[in-house]
This record gives sequence, structure tokens and C-alpha cells, in this order.
Amino acid sequence: MSEINLIIDGKECKGASGDTILQVAQKNDVYIPTLCYLKGLTPIGSCRMCVVEVEGNAKLLTSCTTPAQDGMVVNTKTQKLFNYRKQILELLFAGRNHFCMFCSQSGDCELQTLAIEHGMDSVRYPYLYHDFENDATSEDLQMDHNRCILCGRCIRVCAEKVGAHTLDLEKRGWSANIITDLGSKLGDSETCVHCGACAQVCPTGTITIRDFVYRGRRNDCDDVVESICPLCSLGCEIKGYVRTGSLTRVEGSNLEGPDGGQLCHKGRWWLPESTERERLSVPMIREGSTFREASWEEALGLAASKMKDACQKGKAGAIVSGLSTDEELSVFHSVFKDTLDLKYFDCFIGDILRGFKKGFEPFVEQGVKPFTAAHNITSSDLVLILDADPQDEVPVTASYIRVNTIINGGKLANISSATNPFKGITDVDIKVSPEKMFNVITALVKAVSENEPIEVSGVDKTALEELAGMLKEANRPVFIFGGNFASDAKAVTQATNLAIASGSIFEDGLGIVPMVRHANSLAAINTVVGEEPWIGKADIDCLYVSSTGLIPEDSQSLEAMSMARFCIIHTPYMVHPLVNMADVLIPSPAWYERSGHFCTIEGERRKLNTMVKPQLNLKGLGEIFSTLTEKMGVKLNRSEVQPCENIFNSTVPADKACQVAVEEV
Amino acid sequence: MSRTIVKVGMASCGIAAGGGPVFDKLHSLLDGRDDVEVKKVGCIGFCYKEPLVEIEKDGVCVTYGEVDSALAEEIVEKHIDQGQILKEHVVLNNSAEAPENPRLENQVRIVLRNTGLIDPENIDEYIAREGYRGLEKALKEMTPMQVIQEILDSGLRGRGGAGFPTGLKWKFAHLAKADKKYFVCNADEGDPGAFMDRSVLEGDPHSVLEGMAVGAYAIGADEGIIYCRAEYPLAIKHLNRALEQARERGFLGDNIMGTGFSFDIHIKEGAGAFVCGEETAMIASIEGKRGMPRPRPPFPANSGIFGKPTNINNVETLANIPWIITHGSGEFSKYGIGKSRGTKVFALAGKINKGGLAEVPMGMPLRDVIFDVAGGIPNNRKFKAVQLGGPSGGCLPEELLDTPVDYESINATGAIMGSGGMVVMDETTCIVDVAKFFLSFVQKESCGKCPFCRIGTKRMLEILERISEGNGSHEDLDLLAELAVQIKDGSLCGLGQTAPNPVLTTLKYFKEEYLAHIDDKKCPAKVCTTLIHYSIDPEKCIGCTKCARNCPVDAITGEVKKLHVINDDICVRCGKCIEVCPVGAVTVE
Ligand SMILES: Cc1cc2nc3c(=O)[nH]c(=O)nc-3n(C[C@H](O)[C@H](O)[C@H](O)COP(=O)(O)O)c2cc1C
Ligand code: SF4
Ligand code: SF4
Ligand code: SF4
Ligand code: FES
Repeated sequence: MSEINLIIDGKECKGASGDTILQVAQKNDVYIPTLCYLKGLTPIGSCRMCVVEVEGNAKLLTSCTTPAQDGMVVNTKTQKLFNYRKQILELLFAGRNHFCMFCSQSGDCELQTLAIEHGMDSVRYPYLYHDFENDATSEDLQMDHNRCILCGRCIRVCAEKVGAHTLDLEKRGWSANIITDLGSKLGDSETCVHCGACAQVCPTGTITIRDFVYRGRRNDCDDVVESICPLCSLGCEIKGYVRTGSLTRVEGSNLEGPDGGQLCHKGRWWLPESTERERLSVPMIREGSTFREASWEEALGLAASKMKDACQKGKAGAIVSGLSTDEELSVFHSVFKDTLDLKYFDCFIGDILRGFKKGFEPFVEQGVKPFTAAHNITSSDLVLILDADPQDEVPVTASYIRVNTIINGGKLANISSATNPFKGITDVDIKVSPEKMFNVITALVKAVSENEPIEVSGVDKTALEELAGMLKEANRPVFIFGGNFASDAKAVTQATNLAIASGSIFEDGLGIVPMVRHANSLAAINTVVGEEPWIGKADIDCLYVSSTGLIPEDSQSLEAMSMARFCIIHTPYMVHPLVNMADVLIPSPAWYERSGHFCTIEGERRKLNTMVKPQLNLKGLGEIFSTLTEKMGVKLNRSEVQPCENIFNSTVPADKACQVAVEEV
Repeated sequence: MSRTIVKVGMASCGIAAGGGPVFDKLHSLLDGRDDVEVKKVGCIGFCYKEPLVEIEKDGVCVTYGEVDSALAEEIVEKHIDQGQILKEHVVLNNSAEAPENPRLENQVRIVLRNTGLIDPENIDEYIAREGYRGLEKALKEMTPMQVIQEILDSGLRGRGGAGFPTGLKWKFAHLAKADKKYFVCNADEGDPGAFMDRSVLEGDPHSVLEGMAVGAYAIGADEGIIYCRAEYPLAIKHLNRALEQARERGFLGDNIMGTGFSFDIHIKEGAGAFVCGEETAMIASIEGKRGMPRPRPPFPANSGIFGKPTNINNVETLANIPWIITHGSGEFSKYGIGKSRGTKVFALAGKINKGGLAEVPMGMPLRDVIFDVAGGIPNNRKFKAVQLGGPSGGCLPEELLDTPVDYESINATGAIMGSGGMVVMDETTCIVDVAKFFLSFVQKESCGKCPFCRIGTKRMLEILERISEGNGSHEDLDLLAELAVQIKDGSLCGLGQTAPNPVLTTLKYFKEEYLAHIDDKKCPAKVCTTLIHYSIDPEKCIGCTKCARNCPVDAITGEVKKLHVINDDICVRCGKCIEVCPVGAVTVE
């Protein structure tokens, strides 16, 4: 890309060929007002606020869409342009309901800011009252069309980033308006995934998130913290707005990244909600059917003695959360493996993670990385879903899949035992019962690598043949392994063979995206996931459980807790049914009070930052475990495990990966 | 003795005027006769005289106007059977003087060379008149670049409105490298009052198909799309028929005429949004998206339908192509002046004697078009203005009547050539009302993307409404002018960029009329209803009660043989009373 030089407002500016005038201006700190433009979305040149004059060109050009050319002399601040922009603002203000004093976004609205900037203190037109709808049918969002300026950002983010295509424009002229689906209400929409991306990009008070309004404008916040979302393994980058100890608003911050700054429903709504929940503030000890408060000394003493006894009998266990940071996982590893060497040590949803761990093992041993950064889905020519429900498991990957299929023109195939999560946009959909899943994958491997005829009784033959053909043809296929699918390690291995056979080779590894729900699952696989399943089978005297309380615990783990004779529950919240299982409750800091790292399936180790300073008098993991081990009379063996160490590295490129034999069932 | 041929004008205009029953009548009277053939033909342009029936007997062609069943019967009896011409009904006669002969003589018919003459549903009639000869010549004797050069030399410019040189457009599309290219015919004809393209599609569809095939060869396209408004069912029917026949004869399809060139065309019906005539909006619509313009670059020639190079030409532009290839660019550029070459088809309407279609050489002064070709203003009224180019065009006054019809001269006045709508107005037309009419059209048709176009035109319309109601102020006029200029400069697409033209030109040439509405609260043309009042002259009223009986809102009271009075508060200014009063006692002020 060659460098270009422009003169903008008399200033010498450098840009790269392919930049728009606006991009060059922004790189060089020249301000041009914009409304419909948003970083990361396709510029459409609709609002006309960014018009500039280019010497030698009689026309006014929208800087957001006009390619910059070497030698251009651009003026962005003439009186004429100022008048144009003011006129636009005047037309927009008088065009719908922009009585700012009655708007939740007042003070936080791009339209209002621009109006102030342009000295637009009155309008020369009578206000138009068109009586558009205020769509309040959604539980999460409100969409007051009377405040809409038709900038189309919501339409674009919903189509280009979320891939939901829920929003569009309807009608013409003065009646043109945003429409949901084919005219339904937002609350009844069949395509909306309730992600709130539209509200995040709306520059006005049209689409708002009910939980965020009237809780403080963006610039009234005490703090704005960059961090990541701890709710799933994608670890979306977020910006948290903190006010009086609460998280009042969460936004995706990676506007120019593959996710375009979107978040899923959970990230958007659960995170702010998590700062409002009832906290566990002091240690507690069970007394009959209730708890009594206890001192740290007493609670940890009790826990230590129970643990010690159980250890001696070989009946101690520990279940920790995959939402723990790398640093926390290292501590758990040191305590439960290196120090206590527990036989019964695992992670929530251990069976799924074990499936991945064992299924991938032969390839990891070859030095190959058996998965690729999740966003590579968007550059794939074929996505094959294996018993997964991405919208539920790792929601933003579902956006990647929709965008890749609908906008980028990639193909989509689905093999599942449940209903197809992408009905309507799948090219091939094959229904397979769980027992036959492995056979189907095996048959596909043979068909793709050895051109063998494909036949599995009870499974649609033509569809299988078509899929095999598609896999052979594809250049960059991506495989989505669902959690269900992964509980069978053999199926994981065989499907990885299929990826190799189909030439699913990416720069960073094989083209597989594992649907691991818990934020730090990859690191957990490396540190805390046990070799053999024991939960629900082993006889446990004392069970230590660490839960972040952010997402519901799986039923199997809950069952194990209820069967253990004594349960030490270490958690930030008074959440049920978790606390019901406890004999000792030990408070821990919530995710927003902690910091550390996650190994995300985006192929990066990302940092969680403290958002809100801890208000309670809590003890950190390190302190708790040194006390606990001390009281147990053992020496804490701090081994320096680094959970992420070998996850993102590969010693052998993906195209050198070899298939491995899997014993047939 | 050769067969007598009876041609009935059965384009939309003919059918609307009652051509169907006339055709049926003639058909039933003449069916089975070996010496007579009855055919349906397209529009010849004398729409005001429809239904038209032409009799070609013994080498003489006579066209009758305003034919009904009775006249049809008479024509069969007297003219066909006895060779007797019914003089009083003749409009055109190629062997003797007839009223419309001079009108046709003033025209140069290149685009309309076949319309009204051939049966559009019969490819042989097209072929008999040099049809597909241009394509054959292009494919067999010329390289694509030579075709492009020929079109460049001819000076042909786009007839869809913008007047971009067609050869140059093709050259850009030709130079674009891609595995697939599209050639699109813009048959969306959205201007209210325009029907040039419809007449060509209905009356001579093959000329458009041939033009497309030549163009596709020149740019290297293999897929053609005709984007035709769904409101043109007859055009679509004739196009479909023509496509079938052209495929049968091997003018479309694989390996055309054995030259290795393959090209086929399909029709995409548009839903009737004016803005879909704009190229980028049309592309979006063809891709199945909402028809909305997008900024350029990228230009369609590089990135059009599904990102592939796409060339879009108007129907009339394309109908010129085969003729130019067959006759050579020199023959074509003989007509016209300056940078405007060839002819232009106009749809003549408004206060003129002879409405319809006319194809005149570029450069003919407006005055000649209006007074010679269109027959001047009826009822000896005075010419007031001519509106060119529909809602994107402008209104020109008497002083500018010597402007020649060519792109540069017309643009210099503030109007545009546009697609060829020409509406003539006399002193009974109110200029503010005209501006209001066009603005309310674009205001509704704005795609909604740009605030200027979406809200600005609405605001201009409101101001015009205030003025026409006598509530306008001088500040309103200033705001109107300010908005007009800003909308023009600031909008994304041609719709917004031209929407203010009717207002800008009327403000420029007819400012006094605006001021009369504002300062004197008067509408000089007596059109704006809130500014006029109806009353009955006591001297003249004979008390016949006709006005009272015809008033739709019972605003008139009076007894038989006594003076009648209009209640101004109830009166809705419909003018019915003026129409019915036998003694001219009702007056408007
Ligand atoms: C709002 C708008 C409506 C238009 N409608 C038409 C139309 O109905 N038919 C047409 O041929 N061109 C129409 N045009 C012009 C086309 O955009 C385009 O310039 C033309 O089809 C190009 O063909 P030509 O070069 O042969 O004229 C329209 C342009 C605008 C801005
Ligand atoms: S919430 Fe998300 S899916 Fe729903 S309309 Fe908004 S952007 Fe689209
Ligand atoms: S709802 Fe908001 S983002 Fe969407 S078009 Fe309206 S103002 Fe723009
Ligand atoms: S000028 Fe009008 S019609 Fe054209 S893009 Fe803008 S709003 Fe749409
Ligand atoms: S920001 Fe460029 S047109 Fe809206």
C-alpha cells in the first residue's frame, strides 16, 4: 500500500492509498463531523454531515465515502460547509421528536452534540409530528422511531456484524422508517438475537437499552474501563461504564475487529446486572437449614480440618470454574495437584472439556494446534457445524457464521442430532442420531480422503454425498465442534481427521472452532481437567467448589455437591442453588473486582481488568490457600504452571498434520 | 393487386382510447378475406388522435384518427372495398395533403423508425426493415473496440437523462476486467408524463434487444437484464414474445450467428419506485435489496450487479444503436448540433393541440417543437411556460423559446433535457402550483437516505403550500431558495440533486408570480383555491338553476328565474358552475 499526501485545511496529511478522505483526516487529527459513519461499518454516505470541498472539484464530496487521492487539497471547515451541516441538523431536529429534555440520551447523543457544536439553537421550520411508533415490545430494548434520523447504523451493524438482518428501511420519502423483519414488532422478531448492537451504535435516543437508561450518561461515569467479557470463551473486548460502584453500561469496544464491537445478550445484560446481585460478604457456616456468620479464622479452620480428614481417606475432591483466570487456575493447580495431589479434581462441564482434551491429544502431540481463531469463520468458504448450537454456546460465533453465509457467500452445512440452529441458511442439513454420529464422521473421512462411496444406514445418502463433495471442493472449510459432540473424544479425533482430510488449514492451526462455553476453558483443559470422569461416581467426604456465580452450574456438578458429605463453596454471590449445597461459604471477589488473563478461542490471551474497586473486605485466592494449607499442615507447593503456555503455540504447521487412526466402535 | 393492409394502433395509448373494440370490429368484418390483412401495430405518436387506423392500399397509406366502431365499418365499406378515402377523418396521407403530414415531415425518425409501422409481435416484420443487420455487422465485421469507436464517433449520448456519451460508458465497461459482466436496459421510465420508452418497447421491442446485444458484444457481457416497470404489462408481453422469437432465430443465446458470441436477456420487473431508475439503486434492486442509491465510486462499470462490471443504458439510447451500426456514425451525427447528435424523442403534453410522441433532430428550437410539431396552444391562449425533463427539470418562459434542444443549451437555462418529457403551459397554469406538483412527486419518491432530500423537499413543499394559500412571506422565499441550492449540492443521487430544479427555475423566471401570491394574495392564473373566489354576476344570471344543481357541495342558492348566489365559505372552488353556466355569469377573482 503506497503512501499518499494530502493537504487538509492547510495541514499536510499522510495516508495510505485506499483510505477515504475521512480516514486520512482522522489519522492526522483533523476533525470532520460525521453521523452515519461508524468505524467498522460500510460507509453509505447518507447523512451528508461529512461533506468537504476538494479544490478543482465543483461538487461537495462526502469524505466518508470518497477515496483520498495523492495531492488532493481538501477544505473541511468553510462557512459554506458549516451552513450545510447546520441546515442538515436543523432539518433533522425539526423533522421528528428531538425535544432533548424528554430523551434518555440527552447529554449522550451525537445529534445533540453536533447541534451544539454548530450553534444550532433554534429551527426555522415548524416541528413535524409524524407520530411514528414507540416500539416498547422488547423486554430488553426500546425503539422510539420518533427520534430516529435514519442514519442506518443499526441496520448495518445488525446485518454486517450480527448477521441477523432484523432491521431495514421501509417506505419512501418523509415516511421512510426503520422496520423490524417484515413489519413485526421488535419484541416479536424472529431474527433478532437480542444482542443490543443496534442500541450501542444508535447515535440518538431511538434504540435504547432499558437497563442502561437514566443510570448515568457516558461522560458522567466515574470510570470507563477496558476489559473483556468473562462469560464465554470468545472473551469479547468490552468497555465498562462504572458509576457509584455499579457497572451501568457495557459496550463492545473492538469496533474495527471482526466482531465489530458487538456483544451477545449475556455480555450486554448480565454483566451490568452482576454488579447489582446480592453478595456474600463474610464467611458463613451451616447451622441446620440456615447459615451463621463466621470469622475467617473459624471458617477456614473448619474447611481445613474437613479437607485434611478427607485427604487422608482419599475422599477429597475439588471442582473449580472454567471462568477462572490463568493466574487463578495456576493456584488451583498448585494446591490440588502439586500440593494435595487430589485424585478427584476437575472443572465444571468436565466431560465436555475432557472430550476436547483427549480428542485433540494425538494432534497436540504432533505439535499441531488443533484449532483456529474463531473469527476465521468469516473467511471460510464452508462452515460445517457438528452438533453445536453456537448461538447458545458461544453466541458471537453464531454471528460470524451468519455473516459468512449471508454476506460473504460461504456455504453452510449442519450435522446434528437436535434441530438445525441455522435453519433457512444451511446448504446441507443432515440429521444424525447421537449413536451414529461417529460412524457418519468416519464415513465422511473415508469419502473425502479415499473417495470411498458413502453410506450410513438411516442417514440421508444424497445429503452425505453432497457434503462430501463440498468438503473436497472447499479451500478453507471451518468445523464447529459442539459441546455435545465433544463429550465423545473419539468423535473429536475423527472429526479432526476430517478437517485434515478436507484441507482445513489455517495460518494458526487446523480450521476447527471448539464450542467451549467457559471463558478460560482452553486453559482449564491444560490445568485442571481430570484424566477420568469421577463427578457423580466417586464417594466424596469433602468437596471444595470454586464458582464465579456468573453462569449457572451444570447439573452434574450440582449433583456431586449434594452427594458430598461436606461442601466448601467459594463464591462471590448468594446464588441458588449453589449456596444451598454449602456447609461452609467463603466469599470471593466478583469478576469485576478481579484481574487476570483468559486464553480465548479468538487465539489470543486477553486481559481481564478490575472494573470496580472491591468494597468488601475480601481475601484473594493466594491468601486463602496459604492459610488453608497452613491449617492443614501441608507445605504449599507453588509450581509455576502457565496454563496458556502451549495453547497458542504450535511447533508444526497445520498442513503437516497427519490423520490418526481411531478405533471403530 | 397487392393485399390491403389494415394497421390498428394497439399500444397502451391506442388501447386506452378504445383501440381494442375497433380492432375486434375490423377483425370480425375482414376475417377470412384473402385480399386484406389486419394487424396490430405500436404507437406512431399521434396519441391525441387515437384510436388510429392506417389503411395501406395500392401503395397509398392513409391514417384515420379517432376511429370508433361505426367509423371502422365505414372505412371497410368505403375505403377498403370501394377505394374511397373518408377525407374528413384522415390525419395522415402519404400521397396527398393531410393535417398531420407536416408534423411528420418535421421529424427525423431513427428511434421511432418502426413504431406504428410494424407488428411488434412478428420478428419477420422487424427483420424486413433492416432488423438484426446491425448485430450481424457488429459481430461479423467489427471488433468490440471498433463498435465502441463507431458509437463514440456517432456522438450518441445517454437518453435516460444524464446525457453521458454512450461510447465512453461502453469503453469503461469494456476495459474493466472480470469473469462476468452485465448489460442492463433501463426501462423503468418513472418520470410522470413520460412514455417514450414505453412506446418503443411496445411498438419495436427488437430494436432494444438488438441494441443490447451489440452493446453486450462491445463490453463483453453475457447476461442482459431489462429492468422494466411492472406497470407496463403490454411492453413486458411484447418483450417476452420478442425474446422468444430472437432466441428461436439465434439472435440471442449461445454462439450467436455462429460467431462464438453468447448473450441472453431476461426481464426484471421493477416495483415502480422512481428512484429505482437511478443506476446504483437499480443495481441494488436487481440484487434483491431495497432500491437505494449508493455513493460512487465504485462506478457500475467497475463494480455493479454483485460486484461485477455493469453497463446500464436507457431504452431510447439502445434503440439508436442498431441504426447507427447499420448506417454508420456519420449518418447519425449528421443530425444535431454541437455535442448533441442525432435525435430526441419527446412526450408532448399539456396545453397543446397535438399531444403525443415526436422525434426531432437535436438542435431544433423549442419554439418549433411546440408550435410546429405540437401544433401550438389550443383556444388561442397565450403560451406561458414549458416544463422540460419532468420532476428533475425546469420551467422555461417565452423568452427562452429559441433555445435549441441540445444538452448544453438546455442545461444552461437551469432545466435539463431529461428523458424527454415536455409539458406546455398556458396562462391558466399557475407556476407555484406546477412547482408544487413536481415537488410533491419527488418528495414522496425520495428513498429516504439523505436528510436533505428526505426532509428538505418536504420542507420546500410546505413553503410552497404556504405561498399558494396566501400565507407565504419573503423570508419563506429566501429559505426556499437556500434549501433548494443546498439540496441540489448536498444530496447523494440524481433524484435529490435535481429535485429543486422546478423550484429554482420558476423562482428565476417567474418570481413575480410568487410575489403576487405573497404580496397581493392573488393567484394570477386563478388556480390556487384559497386565493380565488367565485361569484355570480347579477347582470348576467338568468336563474336557470343549473349551477346550483351541479354544485357538489350545495354552495349555491337561488330560485328559478331569480338571481343565484354562491356562499364563499362553502364553495370548494371546483369550477363546476363556470362549466355549466349557459350565459357565462360565473366569474373567478
Ligand atoms: C431518480 C432517477 C431516476 C431515473 N430514472 C430513469 C428512468 O426511468 N429511465 C432511464 O432510462 N434512466 C433513468 N435515470 C437515469 C439513469 O440513472 C441512467 O443515467 C441511465 O439509465 C443511463 O442510461 P443512458 O446513459 O443510456 O442514458 C434516472 C436517474 C435518476 C437519478
Ligand atoms: S438486538 Fe442485535 S439482532 Fe436484534 S435488531 Fe438489534 S442488532 Fe439486530
Ligand atoms: S434507530 Fe438509531 S441507528 Fe438506527 S437509523 Fe435510527 S438513529 Fe440511526
Ligand atoms: S438524494 Fe434522495 S433519492 Fe437520492 S439517495 Fe438521497 S434520499 Fe435517496
Ligand atoms: S458521515 Fe459521511 S455521509 Fe454521513
